[in-house]
Amino acid sequence: MEYKLDVNNESMNLDVQSSKDDKAGVVLGDAEYSLEFKRISNEKLFLTVNGCQVTAWVKPTEQGKLIILNGQQYVVLDQDAQDQAGTAKKKSSAGKEPDTVTPPMPAIVIQVPVSKGDMVKKGDTVVVVSAMKMETSLKAPYSGKVCQISVAEGDKVMPGDILVDIEKVKDEETV
Amino acid sequence: MFEKILIANRGEIAVRVIQTCKDMGIKTVAVYSEADETALHRIEADEAVFIGPADPGKSYLNMDRIIEAAKETQAQAIHPGYGFLSENYEFAQKCADADIIFIGPSAKVIRDMGDKLTARQIMIDADVPVIPGLPGKEYTITDMLEKADEMGYPVLIKASAGGGGKGIRVVNSPGEMNEALEAASREAVNAFGDGRVYLEKFFTQARHIEFQVLADDHGNTIHLLERECSIQRRHQKIIEETPSMAVDPDLRERMGRAACDAARAAEYVNAGTVEFLLDNKGHFYFLEMNTRLQVEHPVTECVTGVDLVRQQILVASGRPLALRQDDIFARGHSIECRIYAEDPENGFFPSPGKIEYYEAPSGPGIRNDAGVYTGAVVPVEYDPILSKLTVHAETRDQAISKMIKALANYVVIGVRTPVDFLADVLDCEAFRNAEVFTDFIDTHFSDWSPSGNDTDLACLAFIADELCAKQSASLVQAGHPGTAGNNPFETLGNWKL
Repeated sequence: MEYKLDVNNESMNLDVQSSKDDKAGVVLGDAEYSLEFKRISNEKLFLTVNGCQVTAWVKPTEQGKLIILNGQQYVVLDQDAQDQAGTAKKKSSAGKEPDTVTPPMPAIVIQVPVSKGDMVKKGDTVVVVSAMKMETSLKAPYSGKVCQISVAEGDKVMPGDILVDIEKVKDEETV
Repeated sequence: MFEKILIANRGEIAVRVIQTCKDMGIKTVAVYSEADETALHRIEADEAVFIGPADPGKSYLNMDRIIEAAKETQAQAIHPGYGFLSENYEFAQKCADADIIFIGPSAKVIRDMGDKLTARQIMIDADVPVIPGLPGKEYTITDMLEKADEMGYPVLIKASAGGGGKGIRVVNSPGEMNEALEAASREAVNAFGDGRVYLEKFFTQARHIEFQVLADDHGNTIHLLERECSIQRRHQKIIEETPSMAVDPDLRERMGRAACDAARAAEYVNAGTVEFLLDNKGHFYFLEMNTRLQVEHPVTECVTGVDLVRQQILVASGRPLALRQDDIFARGHSIECRIYAEDPENGFFPSPGKIEYYEAPSGPGIRNDAGVYTGAVVPVEYDPILSKLTVHAETRDQAISKMIKALANYVVIGVRTPVDFLADVLDCEAFRNAEVFTDFIDTHFSDWSPSGNDTDLACLAFIADELCAKQSASLVQAGHPGTAGNNPFETLGNWKL
């Protein structure tokens, strides 16, 4: 499978020629690599590249995947996925569901249209924030019951802050 | 000895003071603002008192509220850390008035040393060498021009009440004098409410060497050797080390003696730091005295084996120093790097936010004084220091190698840190040759960008991450949810310990 990657704004062609379990044969430009990998934690991967062991930290960001290796930072982006941003988004939400209500950047809470105990449907607006004078609606990532609201109007919030806790309801029909 | 100490600070330094208190069996009280409800220093203390909004003026600088917190919790002493109220003589006086021991020198000493002109005069009287120059406002611009001609340009105009790089102007020629005087004075009025300025010789290739001193109430004053703090950005130190390669045993002896003379002249009690400028001819000059624990104190602790916070607490409780000058010697070499939430590619601009992931290096000779953890938030309101990474090894070369490896294993996701920048600085030839001067960063690293030379490996990590995700997704579809994620809490259902 071929990938067109963008590493720190430089294009690279990568071809996964074989892949089985935690091993893969990869051609990158003119170089061939035998790759073994194991996930250690959400952010940490343990790689063996042509017999040499290395630890990498990987975290998805809005700009692409942030990769930290030997103390250096890289931002790597799949250009094909980027070209079809819509499908990429769907893919990522299928692979890893966003499960928190958090602002995309430092912001101020404008409105909290829900109350503790409310039942919300996936996609309902639960918090409205304003950052740099632009309003953004934060939506419920899944259907459920609002079990905690951690913010009030006027609060300063940062990306990563959990503004509203929603207890997941498994069967959507009960909503 | 004190039973309980309140730490009037936050972040890594508050955590570091709490650690020594715990070692000594002393209970600790943290104070915290709205922005620090889950900050590490608040969590680590035995008790914590909420002192107000995130705005430091209403919390960490709110003297009355902090003294009230000490009274409420029956803390007998307050450790001010560095920054905030640590060099505020009014606060030291308020503590004394409230019968609380301020862990630091007296209000009078803080005031004397905080005023550069007073400090300068005290040092001149005690025969401690000061930078050639003219003190005071009483001089006319003609006097200043005459003196500058005599000393030779460039010269420096400095605010008497100055600090943090404010109220400082370099004058390269007589034509610049008038404007520089006005600008420095104006900046000083705005920053310190005191427009007095003075004139000094400016040294272009100078080193910043400081001596740690310790003095007790019983007339004992010793020094704990030097620290080299020449690597600075925006007039703020980022890498410090000891010993300094520019100081030989004879110079160390003379500077150490001058540092003790300076401390005695100031009637200094507790831990303090005498800063000197060392020119390229081996002459040294008193710069200022910092009347508090320094950020970079860990390097001194590493090579001397002395816990400076413990010494501060013992001295504040009235004990005589158990250490004599002959007890103090350095073993090996120590380097500290300050890890700030800042962007080295963007003028070291602060990078506040939530730390999504935090992993600090460990191993023999590695010390990390941290104030953060995974999930911690770096507030926009305060100094963005996350931690101080310090290494200790037998030689300087070994310490450099150890630090470069430690920095490579220092992982922070969520905010930008300069770990890659710091590693490049340590690895460059000029640093390895100890050719470090205060203009080092501007000279060698003014347009630095990350090398990022392992793009192949970065691509492979990207692919490995994708393949891992696919693998776990297909396992879920195949009906093996147990191996889907790494989070057992998501997959286990209800469970008990």
